[in-house]
Amino acid sequence: MDVCGFLVVSLLLSCLVETCYGVAFSSLQSTLVVTASPTPGQVLKAGQDQITVTWSYNQTYPSGTDSTYKTMKVKLCYAPISQVDRSWRKTNDDLNKDKTCQFNIISGPYNRTSGNSSSTWTIGKDIPTATYFVRAYAYNADGVETAYGQTTNPQKTTYLFEVTGISGRHVSLDVASICFSAFSIVALFGFFFIEKRKAE
Amino acid sequence: MEPPQQPPKPHFSLPVDADHKATEFRLFSLSTPHMTAFHLSWLSLFSNFFSTFSIPPLLSYIRSDLQLSSTEIGYGGIASFTGAIFSRLAMGPACDLFGPRIASSTLSLLTAPIVLSVSLIQSPLSFILVRFLIGFCLANFVANQFWMSSMFSPNVVGLANGFAAGWANVGSGATQLLMPLIVSLLTDSFQIPTSTAWRAAFVVPAVFQSLTAILVLIYGQDLPDGNYSSKKNSRKTGGSGNSLFTVLFTGLRNYRGWILGLTYGYCFGVELTTDNIIAEYFYDRFGVDVDVAGAIAASFGFANVVSRPAGGVLSDEMGRRFGMRGRLWSLWVVQTVAGLLCVLLGRVDSLWGSVVVMCCFSVFVQAASGLTFGVVPFVSKRSLGVISGMTGSGGTLGAVVTQLLLFSGSNQFSTQTGISLMGLMMIVSTLSLGLIYFPKWGGMFCGPSFEPNSQDEEDYFLLE
Repeated sequence: MDVCGFLVVSLLLSCLVETCYGVAFSSLQSTLVVTASPTPGQVLKAGQDQITVTWSYNQTYPSGTDSTYKTMKVKLCYAPISQVDRSWRKTNDDLNKDKTCQFNIISGPYNRTSGNSSSTWTIGKDIPTATYFVRAYAYNADGVETAYGQTTNPQKTTYLFEVTGISGRHVSLDVASICFSAFSIVALFGFFFIEKRKAE
Repeated sequence: MEPPQQPPKPHFSLPVDADHKATEFRLFSLSTPHMTAFHLSWLSLFSNFFSTFSIPPLLSYIRSDLQLSSTEIGYGGIASFTGAIFSRLAMGPACDLFGPRIASSTLSLLTAPIVLSVSLIQSPLSFILVRFLIGFCLANFVANQFWMSSMFSPNVVGLANGFAAGWANVGSGATQLLMPLIVSLLTDSFQIPTSTAWRAAFVVPAVFQSLTAILVLIYGQDLPDGNYSSKKNSRKTGGSGNSLFTVLFTGLRNYRGWILGLTYGYCFGVELTTDNIIAEYFYDRFGVDVDVAGAIAASFGFANVVSRPAGGVLSDEMGRRFGMRGRLWSLWVVQTVAGLLCVLLGRVDSLWGSVVVMCCFSVFVQAASGLTFGVVPFVSKRSLGVISGMTGSGGTLGAVVTQLLLFSGSNQFSTQTGISLMGLMMIVSTLSLGLIYFPKWGGMFCGPSFEPNSQDEEDYFLLE
């Protein structure tokens, strides 16, 4: 019983320790080459337009480096201009705390055979209006980030594109709001009118 | 000659004094007109708090859709209290002129359309404007306290005020819990996209506010004997020398009103600021869901059910045992402890630690608000409305200043540092209570300057 308890506690603690500090982004190598279909400065519509992402292993790196890559995720990431004064999108070198890339484009196993892989994604309806770039992370067997590649330069100033989010306003909602507002005002003046009539 | 006909003696289900104000406070009774007025009043103010704080729990959706920055969110929070500073000051005279029933329900019915207009906003500027306009309805706090003072005798008015204000403040907690749930309901059960769902959710606070205002108009009554419009008597202390300007200047001249305004700004003001920032804080810092962040924020507001009335009860008890000195010391102790817990809240790194500290902090800060209004009635009888208005406005002004200095932009320091600094400001401002001195009852450090008259409460009416 005691041993069981000890094992459970140490398991929990080890999980906590692992998740406490994530991999530092600055320690990752940019061994993946990633390109995306939007041209620099292009404006796309959420829920409608599509992005085609192409990625491959950068052959200038030694060929065995990608043997540890097991899975990968391609993500939509905020450009610095959309992170200004918005701490909920802040870049943090600790990847567990980093909030730069909040939307998944595609994830799946890493394909070691050379050549390009690509995927087409319809921009989700919940993507907010902002400026973005695309980044791919490669993960090892433990699910820890091992390498990355991105469509923009290290300063994140080139090949940025914009997405316009869905407004959420709806004609029926506008009409309902106006009707209820009118009811509220009419009720107030109706009451005053009735009170005046009663007093007379 | 026939003796003049006496008007029929009105029959009340609660024992009443000479003014027909109730001398007993029965919380779970609906007897007209006193307890009906109590329940209508706290429910109506509850809906106002519900509306004012309906935006913060949904900020994680709103800030994406409107591309808000931290600075703009901060300005929105500040704007939501700024309107209330002036509207609370204006509500005192409005109640005097029109009666609390008409004044409060008019304000509620006029601000309900603004709550609905949240569904129409599309830019940061309109966001700030809408929050500013909705904030006006917090003036109903003054009408609420005024109404309770009209209906309840001095021996129970503290209790009535404490329960009315405390239960109404729960609205700020209930909305943090319910608004995310309403949005979840709309997105999950009706498959409405989030960016439309959060807009549609504002129908709920708006309709609720309108309904409570209409109930107040139909079933409420300004005075135990009837409404203002059917009465010609002047309220409060009848007689000359009580013109609006005399009352106003007597109140504004009283330094104790200013000190209480400052300390209320750092207990109730801090409570308002925390209502604005806490859901986003838990969402951003600990990564919990919008629903969970809302539930945590709600528990902050829910403590009001007991903690604010408890503050009032504590004040009355300390007053009974130790006089004014007891009331002032208990206010200082409770508010300082609240400040210390606030400092601690900013330093705790774990989620559950933060929740526990936040709950303790909520109890103390809300009790401090209740304790403040245990001292307010003694500052001035003639200018009670003005002192209440000054204290109430001080509350919202404190919220504005705190939010402006500490939570309006992500530049200088993080939210958790801001929270600790807020606690520090609370502790420092509460020290000013030491300056309050009543010649008749003394202060924190000095005794009364002349022999207090026995048990005659009415005497202080003549002082100011």
